[in-house]
Amino acid sequence: MAKNRDNEDFIGPIRRLLVGVCILLLSGIFLVWRIDSPRVERFRAAVVDRVVPSFDWAMAPVTGVANLVTDFRSYNQLAAQNNDLRRELQQMKAWKEAALQLEQENARLLDLNNVRLDPQLTYVTGVVITDSGSPFRQSVLLNVGARDGIIDGWPAMDGIGLVGRISGVGQSTSRVILLTDTSSRIPVTIQPSGQKAILAGDNTLNPPVDFIENPDLVRPGDRVVTSGDGGVFPADLLVGQVALGTDRRLRTRLSADYGRLEFLRVLRARPHEVINDPGGLLAPSPQFIGPLPKTAEVSSDQSDG
Amino acid sequence: MVEGVNAHIWSGRAVFFAVLCVTIFVQLVPFGHEPTIWAAPDVMLAITLAWVARRPDLAPFYIIVGLFLLTDLLFQRPPGLWALLVLLLTEFLRTRASAIRNMPLMLEWGTVAVGIVSIIVANRIILAIVMSPQAPLGLTLIQMLTTIAIYPVVLAVVHFAFGISRPAPGAVDRLGRKL
Repeated sequence: MAKNRDNEDFIGPIRRLLVGVCILLLSGIFLVWRIDSPRVERFRAAVVDRVVPSFDWAMAPVTGVANLVTDFRSYNQLAAQNNDLRRELQQMKAWKEAALQLEQENARLLDLNNVRLDPQLTYVTGVVITDSGSPFRQSVLLNVGARDGIIDGWPAMDGIGLVGRISGVGQSTSRVILLTDTSSRIPVTIQPSGQKAILAGDNTLNPPVDFIENPDLVRPGDRVVTSGDGGVFPADLLVGQVALGTDRRLRTRLSADYGRLEFLRVLRARPHEVINDPGGLLAPSPQFIGPLPKTAEVSSDQSDG
Repeated sequence: MVEGVNAHIWSGRAVFFAVLCVTIFVQLVPFGHEPTIWAAPDVMLAITLAWVARRPDLAPFYIIVGLFLLTDLLFQRPPGLWALLVLLLTEFLRTRASAIRNMPLMLEWGTVAVGIVSIIVANRIILAIVMSPQAPLGLTLIQMLTTIAIYPVVLAVVHFAFGISRPAPGAVDRLGRKL
């Protein structure tokens, strides 16, 4: 029957040609992506940048209604939750006392050492527009982008803990790969033992901690913070706590509340300084040693060497 | 007369386009960011296959290619590959649309299920060949099964909500051609 219709109208061959062109085009796109991924990823970021903000007006009410439903459902559990919270509050008060004392002690010690905390860690706050839309990818889209000075690789946190890192920046949007994504690898330190490890996302809520030098020194409940190794992240951002999974692997209970990612802080991480100097102290260039004759000559010498 | 037929077909295509757009939109709404242990069915694929199996003339290939390429880009999939596989599957079903029309429902379901399984397997094989990172196998299998399972439901919804059903034997369009 299809043949009959093809004979009847002359659209058939043209249509077949167009389908063939489409097939070639799509395989071409895929191959180009495989060969030159960064360029296609930039194109993807540009497309997302154009398409998703145009959904924004419709996204807001739908998200609002969805949150309303979840909130309403959670009223059922409020009473139980309230009791739990009261009990926890009792414990927290004791902890608060301890923390206050430690804070004062810490302040005294810092004062003693004249330590300055890094003043360059400022942040940009963005609102989560959409998630990745696929169960296989864990990422969210923020409404801040290159226009706001966001740069690839900066860490994103909610109020408490690390959430992920920027990967893909458009003009007005940027994508945050969450720590739970399968392609997320973060160098971490486990305190108090100081063991270095890699937090490797595997599409579960509690990503495992891999490559621990000595797992015996790590116990559930230890704090996991970023280590700053490899210049990926600033050091000492809180990630979560070690927990022992049901499969006997060490996993991380993330501090960030992944159930409610609404606002994320993108930290302005400065690139680490790289030492390029070959070591002037070990092999001093033959130079006049003594009082400097003239500043102009010295500067010309240095530029020659 | 011709304009009437065209308007009918174009409105049917617009409905198809709109339904797919709504599906994309719903998938993008940020409900929760916690990884789930089961994967939701690929409703967009099921809807497309239902349309192609029932009324191929209302599901033109350019809409399918365009929207699936868009979702490849939006959902962080390797761009082009999934759209290509879906296009091949729909073209395969399209050439057999007249045969599918005469099948009992279970057989139609089986044909579509085999198609879904084969493009998912092909997807994994191609990604393995080019050594590209893959989604977890378990999640993919779950999504495959749920997508197959949801197909009859999608058929029912599409039938009752949009009136997309098999043309009766001998049904003709307004030009008098056989559908």
